[in-house]
Amino acid sequence: MITLRGVSKTVRSGDHPLTILHPLDLTVPDGQFLAIVGPSGSGKTTLLGLMAGLDAPTSGTIEVGGAEITALDEDRLAVLRGARIGFVFQFFHLVPSLTALENVLVPMELVGRKGARERATALLAEVGLFERAHHYPTQLSGGEQQRVAIARALANDPPLILADEPTGNLDGQNGRHILDLLLSVRAARKVTLVLVTHDAEIAGLADANLTLRDGRPVPELTTADLGSAR
Amino acid sequence: MRFVAAMAVRELRASWRRLLFFFLCIALGVGAIVTLRSVIQSVRQVFAGEARALLGADLVVSSTRRIEGEVARKVAARLNAAGALVTRTAETATMARAGGRREGPARMVELKAVGPGFPYYGRLDLEGDLSYTHALVAGGGAIVRPELLAQLGLAVGDTLILGGKDFVVRGVIVSEPGRRLGAFSLGPRVIIDMADLEQTSLLAFGSRVTYQQLVQAPDAALGGLFTALREDVKNTFVRVRSYTTTEGDLGENFARAENYLSLVGLIIVILGGVGVASVTRVFVQQKIRSIAILKCLGATGRQVLAIYLAQVLALGVLGSVAGVFIAMAVMAWIPAFLGPAVTAGITVSYRLTASAVAQGALTGLLVSILFALVPLLEVRQVKPSQLLRDEELLARRDLARLLSILAVGLALMGVTMWQAGSVRIGSIVAFGFAALAVVLYFAGRALIAAVRPLAASSWFPLRHAALQLTRPGGQVHLVLLTVGLGAFFILGVRALQDNLVQEVSVDMARDAPDMFLVDIQRDQLEGVLGTLAAAQPEGAPAARVVPVLRARVTGVSGRDVSLENYEDVRGRGSLAREYTITYRSPLEANEKIIEGAAWDATPAPGGEVSIEASIRDRFGIQVGDTIRFDVLGRVVSATVTSVRRVEWGDSRAGGFMFVFRPGLLDAAPHGYIAFARGPLATVDRARLLGTLAAAYPNVSVIDGREMLATITTVVDNITLAVTVVGSLVVASGLLILIGAVAMTKFRRVYEAAILKTLGATRSVIATMLLLEYAVLGALAGLLGASGAAGLTWALSRFAFDMSYRSPTALLVFGVAACAVTVSAVGVLSSWDVLQRRPLSTLRGR
Repeated sequence: MITLRGVSKTVRSGDHPLTILHPLDLTVPDGQFLAIVGPSGSGKTTLLGLMAGLDAPTSGTIEVGGAEITALDEDRLAVLRGARIGFVFQFFHLVPSLTALENVLVPMELVGRKGARERATALLAEVGLFERAHHYPTQLSGGEQQRVAIARALANDPPLILADEPTGNLDGQNGRHILDLLLSVRAARKVTLVLVTHDAEIAGLADANLTLRDGRPVPELTTADLGSAR
Repeated sequence: MRFVAAMAVRELRASWRRLLFFFLCIALGVGAIVTLRSVIQSVRQVFAGEARALLGADLVVSSTRRIEGEVARKVAARLNAAGALVTRTAETATMARAGGRREGPARMVELKAVGPGFPYYGRLDLEGDLSYTHALVAGGGAIVRPELLAQLGLAVGDTLILGGKDFVVRGVIVSEPGRRLGAFSLGPRVIIDMADLEQTSLLAFGSRVTYQQLVQAPDAALGGLFTALREDVKNTFVRVRSYTTTEGDLGENFARAENYLSLVGLIIVILGGVGVASVTRVFVQQKIRSIAILKCLGATGRQVLAIYLAQVLALGVLGSVAGVFIAMAVMAWIPAFLGPAVTAGITVSYRLTASAVAQGALTGLLVSILFALVPLLEVRQVKPSQLLRDEELLARRDLARLLSILAVGLALMGVTMWQAGSVRIGSIVAFGFAALAVVLYFAGRALIAAVRPLAASSWFPLRHAALQLTRPGGQVHLVLLTVGLGAFFILGVRALQDNLVQEVSVDMARDAPDMFLVDIQRDQLEGVLGTLAAAQPEGAPAARVVPVLRARVTGVSGRDVSLENYEDVRGRGSLAREYTITYRSPLEANEKIIEGAAWDATPAPGGEVSIEASIRDRFGIQVGDTIRFDVLGRVVSATVTSVRRVEWGDSRAGGFMFVFRPGLLDAAPHGYIAFARGPLATVDRARLLGTLAAAYPNVSVIDGREMLATITTVVDNITLAVTVVGSLVVASGLLILIGAVAMTKFRRVYEAAILKTLGATRSVIATMLLLEYAVLGALAGLLGASGAAGLTWALSRFAFDMSYRSPTALLVFGVAACAVTVSAVGVLSSWDVLQRRPLSTLRGR
């Protein structure tokens, strides 16, 4: 379960403070698929980053799986992410100097997991990239890179997967494949999935939606609103 | 740990090309240290075991006077009691000429007379199948260096005249114990029998002869004998050396030379280190995304830092190993370059020594880590949230960073001290380097500010070139600093060489004397002057004659110093050395009285002496003090009545530390020296030398023109050595430039893509780059050239005391060469910027 209490984020923009996210309370139960939607600059990605401990909130507390991550320092956060959170980015963010297989290996090596190589190979097979394990990211298409990223996110069996517009940088067909992959992974592993998206269709598949506008949640929401937000 | 190692290996696999310069920087520096140390150590190892051969004996008792009277009896008794073998030798410089010709050419030679038994250790090698025995020289024989035969047109079997006596040349010397390679010498060596020397006119009163007794003693008795002899000769002018003290002196000299040379190597390593720092910074900038990903996937800051430190360590090790291989190659090449290094019958084999390799490699490793550490610490500041949005990596000024910069600075100072082998010299070098860097940095800033107005130019390429140079965050200062420093080294030494050579040749061009005659006896004076006058060119000034005596200070009773006896004087260092003194009215054209009063021309029997300012400054002797001198064995007291300052640079009138008032010494037996302007043509000079040598065999003539040639050769060699070092410095500067180009490449490719999209052709962009680097190079050259001009001026003015000539042509050439080199390197390493197609760049962004 993820619990946010009074979480806000303010950054300095030039000389003025700029609030990207106003104080927010949110609970995501275990196993839920939550879609965060809203127009560009509404604070979606910031919220996701805060949940992953990639950034520290200006106020409020965040609990992930019973651990208050706002109390942890940078290194403890890193260890927590490695063990409990899988992250999928819009721009894939594979390490360019590592092969697909090695990219999947990294999280397991970090926690010193046994049988990492076999598992990485199996994960790549699961996302349909067994043949391309020894290719570098530059040798893979966008869709393939994102599949490697998903395999990497699953490496340590995290109970929580955070995805930041995972299909935003892909064409329709490839985007569809990635979404199917994420949904089937979620179904098979019963993980909590928090996904940031522009896409009303994807949001419609979720158990719950959180719509943000100018850093504040929009309580009542219709499909028509989502359409206009896009 | 395994994760760190695995990641470091994978990263290196991908980025080794980008880190190649890192590797080169370290390899170059380590190669320099290992080579320089190995060369010195190779020579030193050979000499360490050969101190006896160098001395030719276990002990040497020596003096610049005949060892006779009480001292001689004591020494003889002591040696007898110890059961030691003794043989006598003597050395002096004199003129030699071919026999059988009335006025053939004459050459100055370094004559050595030896007794039977010489040498006790070491080998005297002769040409052909001949081996040396005393019989070879006994009874009017001489063995000589081959160059003398060539100069005088002689062959083995011919006659050689030395000090008015005929000698038959019986052999040719290949090498001789105790004669050092490259040591300064007045002429080729000639060896004759000691008994024959006594029959020449060369031991006349006042001649410059060094008398030696070579001693071979049983090992067990040696230590005691040495101590006892030292006690015996206390308070006299006799010195005793043992091969063990020689060994110690040699060792110290070699250690000093080794440490100085390795400092040169260290400077190259440190410049390499600057390169390492800039390459590492580039590397970290390029790796921000990968680092953020690793942190996002759960790697801690410490793990990430360890991954990159491991890479630096690996490159440091590889660079050091490559440096050792470079050193190995250079060492293999040295004999071919220097020729076989044979001296005193000892062959030096140049090879890498274990300690040089260890020191070089360790230094390389330390420098890689220390210089890479500060830029690597930025790794800790990379935040995983950088994956979500483009954030600038801001160098936060946190305490850890400041502390580590401080620690790295201190560690580098430690390395410098270690390499210099001295805390004092190490800190002087470290602070000197820091001060120089600060000066160059601010000079660089000022120069960059000076080109800022170019940014207002209406010519597009020039405007953008100026903008690139003046914008913050580039590595412009670093490049200016290193290329400027290298240019400073090269131009500085070249300018100094030009000035030195010009100064000496200008001296020769004037009516300045170019021949120096020494050891002229009183009764020869008139004849010598007559011979000179007859040979001198029209209008040349008459030869100047100065009476000279040799004297030692044996005591001082004064206001501030009181030195009771010769031992006390010895405690004052060089005050105890033998000085050449004269008597005359106190002032020459190149002198000025700065304290006390000059005496008038009338001779006075009471002792009055005028001292040079340096004697007052160094030894605290004041006007009114009384100095006791030993002049050729007689004790003479004189009161200091004035202090003079001598312009040493003006050689026309020579210079004396002690000048006496006429009256006291006139009657003492003494000789004269003369300065004369000799004939210009080589043939005429040779004839004059021959005539003088025939008529006055004891008079030595030093040919200033020949000396000039020798000095020019020495200066040339030093210049070559410094130029090599300077070129290495410039090379590391260029490496830094390439690193700087690589660092800004991503930005430049992007900007060039935009400019191309907006209509800039490739030639416009190429012109822009060319101008930017040409200006940068010219600025660096200007920096180096002004430093070089300053250095030459300061050294000319204060160290060499000669007039300064601005080496304008050389400096202009230096600036141009820097501009060309830097722009060539800059444009070539920016090739990508020109070639990339704009669309792929813009889409990839």
